[in-house]
Amino acid sequence: MGNAALRDIAVIEDVPFADIEGVVAVDAHNWLYRYLTTTVKWTSSEKYTTDDGTEVANLIGIIQGLPRFFEHDIVPVMVFDGGPSELKADEIADRREQREVYKAQLERAREEGDTVAIAQLESRTQRLTPTIQETSRELLELLDVPVVEAPAEGEAQAAHMVKRGDADYVGSEDYDALLFGAPYTLRQLTSKGDPELMDLEATLTTHDLTLEQLIDAAILIGTDFNEGIRGIGPKTALSEIAEHGDLWSVLEARGEHIEHGDRVRQLFRDPNVTDEYEFETTLEPDLEAARKYVVDEWGVDAGEVERGFERIEASVVQTGLDSWT
Amino acid sequence: MFKAIVSAATLTSALDSVSVLVDECKIHLEEEGLSIRAVDPANVGMVDLTLDAAAFESYEADGGLIGVDLSRLEDIAGMAESGQLIQLELDEETRKLHIQIDGLEYTLALIDPDSIRQEPDIPDLDLPARVVLEGKDVNRSVKAADMVSDHIALGVNDAEEFFYVNAEGDTDDVHLELTQDDLIDLQVGPAHSLFSLDYLKDMNKAIPGDTEVTLDLGEEFPIKLYFGFAEGQGQVTYMLAPRIQSD
Repeated sequence: MGNAALRDIAVIEDVPFADIEGVVAVDAHNWLYRYLTTTVKWTSSEKYTTDDGTEVANLIGIIQGLPRFFEHDIVPVMVFDGGPSELKADEIADRREQREVYKAQLERAREEGDTVAIAQLESRTQRLTPTIQETSRELLELLDVPVVEAPAEGEAQAAHMVKRGDADYVGSEDYDALLFGAPYTLRQLTSKGDPELMDLEATLTTHDLTLEQLIDAAILIGTDFNEGIRGIGPKTALSEIAEHGDLWSVLEARGEHIEHGDRVRQLFRDPNVTDEYEFETTLEPDLEAARKYVVDEWGVDAGEVERGFERIEASVVQTGLDSWT
Repeated sequence: MFKAIVSAATLTSALDSVSVLVDECKIHLEEEGLSIRAVDPANVGMVDLTLDAAAFESYEADGGLIGVDLSRLEDIAGMAESGQLIQLELDEETRKLHIQIDGLEYTLALIDPDSIRQEPDIPDLDLPARVVLEGKDVNRSVKAADMVSDHIALGVNDAEEFFYVNAEGDTDDVHLELTQDDLIDLQVGPAHSLFSLDYLKDMNKAIPGDTEVTLDLGEEFPIKLYFGFAEGQGQVTYMLAPRIQSD
């Protein structure tokens, strides 16, 4: 998801895990999705589906993915995508019900040809199944990993939390985090090597842009919510914005039109986010209960998750020397 | 400027005591000797090493800083017999280290010190108990504990005045008590902490059996473990963060 062309604009550098400190507000769907598509792909399918075919790869992913945070004393806060912008998260008690609501809204959006709403809704209905939504939250709760429910886009909420100083980084593969104004974004948290740090301030300074102009440039190139203008890549977008100042002037000068351009712009500039969340950063996982949940209740092969559990156990009981400096 | 001649045994001891924790390190080339400080990526174990100019056959330096890949340098030093001399010379222009061992010339590319993890601050520790013992006693404690568990408890019984080692495994246990008489020195104080054997095993590898080792301990505090090498002209200090006792 997100627009990979933004990579050519963003200022990104590798940063060792050891240099990362504090709280990472992780776009939970994005993070889990990586494990569902990449990590677990290499394991045979019997290992990540139950006897009746329910997918539990997310549970393996969580147990394999969390040690990287814990071992470096980084607190992950999992931010889940919420309801569509028009709805308040607390109005929806049941996630299944919520999914039905999305579906209905998606159908309506399709009938109306509302491309922005279609893109927003599709990303939420298709990425994670209801079971995965539910079991992920339950396992995270047993592991005492904080969960925040975003009112709309998880990524926007994560960016908001970093802007407010409640977290230090957004964790997402998605370059759109920049457009939501995330000061620092960590990419490749699920990969083997060092993560990448995407720096908003440095990006804006390098190209002599405001955040609003960066958003406009991205809309010209194309985002999750709109098709870009044919023939405009990162380079052209930047030079057009530099020359004309903003999205509308560029479109006017080129005689082009972007459907719902104003709404897409608004979505990035003023996303639906909430200040109503709280979490603790001292984690006390109940490993025994988590093991039972994964292995006994969901029938995951113990061998698949043993190493992960061991790493979590070792990291939560081992202190760091920095506690004494 | 840096130019030195050192015995292979001394250089190897110095490098080995650092490489058990990190792959790369910064070496300070001070006038009075060289020094290295490094911490492992998880911030659990730290090493602080000094090697005085007097430990070298000859030594000239004026305060430079180099970054090295330790396993590379160890491999090269390993080409020498332990009694042989190794000549080191820094080429400031090319940022390479010229190493000579009995006619064998090796040019080692250095690492940009800025690319190596920052040197740690030394924890400010006020540790109430001190145990001085022979390296071989540390060695057998660690070895025995490793047979039954992945962690080891070290403590001092200040009422009965002995130092003890405990390791509890799923089925088997290991226990060792050393009194004043068995030790070189003991200053009693309240001390009991649990440590990961993964780290302690690695640190133990660098401790010579016939060396006097000092352990400073507290209650759920890091351990400070130090010893001399190169006839006392080198000093290694390890610090290791404790595990939190779960029971």
